[in-house]
Amino acid sequence: MTQVDQSLTKIKLLNPTYPNKATGIINGESSGLLNWNDIAYPQMYDLYQTLLANFWKAQEINMQDDIKQWDNLSETEKDVFLRINTQLASLDSLQTPTMTHVMDYVTDSSFKAIFAVISQQEAVHNESYSYILSSLVPLREQNERFDQAKEDPIVRKRNQLILDSYEAFRENPTPQRLFELAINSINLEGIYFYAGFAFFYHLARQQKMLKTSTMISYIQRDEMQHAYFVSQFVRILLTENPELNTEENIQYVYQTVDKAVQLEKEWADYILKDIEGIDLDEFHGYVEYLANKRFRQIGLDNYYPERDNPMEWIHVFSDEMMNETKSDFFEQKSRTYTKVSSSNGFDEL
Amino acid sequence: MKAAIIYTSVTGNTSTLAEIICEKMNNHHIETDLIPVDEFQPQLLHNYDIVTVGTYSWDNGDLPMEMEEVFEAFEEEEVNHITTGVFGTGDSFYPYYCGAVDMFRDMLYVHTNLAVTLKVELTPQDEDLHRCEKFCDRLASELAVVS
Repeated sequence: MTQVDQSLTKIKLLNPTYPNKATGIINGESSGLLNWNDIAYPQMYDLYQTLLANFWKAQEINMQDDIKQWDNLSETEKDVFLRINTQLASLDSLQTPTMTHVMDYVTDSSFKAIFAVISQQEAVHNESYSYILSSLVPLREQNERFDQAKEDPIVRKRNQLILDSYEAFRENPTPQRLFELAINSINLEGIYFYAGFAFFYHLARQQKMLKTSTMISYIQRDEMQHAYFVSQFVRILLTENPELNTEENIQYVYQTVDKAVQLEKEWADYILKDIEGIDLDEFHGYVEYLANKRFRQIGLDNYYPERDNPMEWIHVFSDEMMNETKSDFFEQKSRTYTKVSSSNGFDEL
Repeated sequence: MKAAIIYTSVTGNTSTLAEIICEKMNNHHIETDLIPVDEFQPQLLHNYDIVTVGTYSWDNGDLPMEMEEVFEAFEEEEVNHITTGVFGTGDSFYPYYCGAVDMFRDMLYVHTNLAVTLKVELTPQDEDLHRCEKFCDRLASELAVVS
């Protein structure tokens, strides 16, 4: 049995003879004490700070406007709204325990801390879907909708790809399976949410259910950081463990993400088919564009044809849109320059 | 005639872009220094006819902390004769795509001879190589006009 297939052992909570700065993200020596000023990958502290700066909670968003609008949605819109809501909730339900589970086998305390924050954020996402549901429909219907999500054959097929990998790691946590789990986590957080996001942002484009889409926007902002973190995790894992950095594993990434891409297209064709204004061919191109970004984030080449973002309206709301004020570098120093453009005599490429 | 590329990078996207631009500047027979931000000093600016700045953007399109010194150097030093370009990488899913490039753009327009800006999504793709070519062409042509 090669090293990549040997079970990782759960690290002890404290190992006083080991250094605080871990010698590896897996199978490393680490005291278990975390001093953020002495970590192996200092950029992880910035990432941790960014995750914390994203902090939000569902109860801060007043659902009154959406409650009033709900009855004006068409029956199709309501049905799709509830089905996507519970489907996204079930994805987040997987993610919360999986991230804490991974923590037991990661030997770098700074990474453990980040997995803990990610897990907390997934719990908030999960709550926000419940909060939206509780504002709009009675408990009986909520439960029916969750059952529907559990039973839907296309949802099950999609989830199976992720579940097989997550369960395999639970059963026998090897470096190889951790790598595969990370790739599937990118599928879940970086691909599988986007048909749902498209639907909510599409409603928002029509000024419908803006409180819900504000929450969706917060969720997307978090998920983008998660996908970024996991991609960094994958790169470091492969660099520190060259025996994982094989041609087979590179092919595994292309094949597994491609499966997720096909499943996301299939899900979109099914769930969004009656939604006017979302062009499904365009969405297929969007999912490929999205997957190309994920490949490049982990240092691989594009797998699909290179294209510009075909659905630019699927993006995180700006702070102004969310009615937030945040002090930044420029506000503190009160230095502002007039916005200039290529009409001022330079080229914008 | 000398050029400098002052850049910062976390994931390697902006440093990849900086290296591509450096190579293309050299192809234009312009001697170009590649300067990571931690080696930057304000008085360095005076050694160059062309200065390009490369930066990623943080979270909500913010300037990375380590680039503040570079930003302030352009405001404080005598740089109005310098031809500049700014490039960066970012993710268009954020509301202010490559926001730090825009911040530099607006400031450099006031204080320098700003010639060109370039935004790239994450790691450069094939099409971006052509855009890098244009970026360098534009800088080189400014130099031709001046000399």
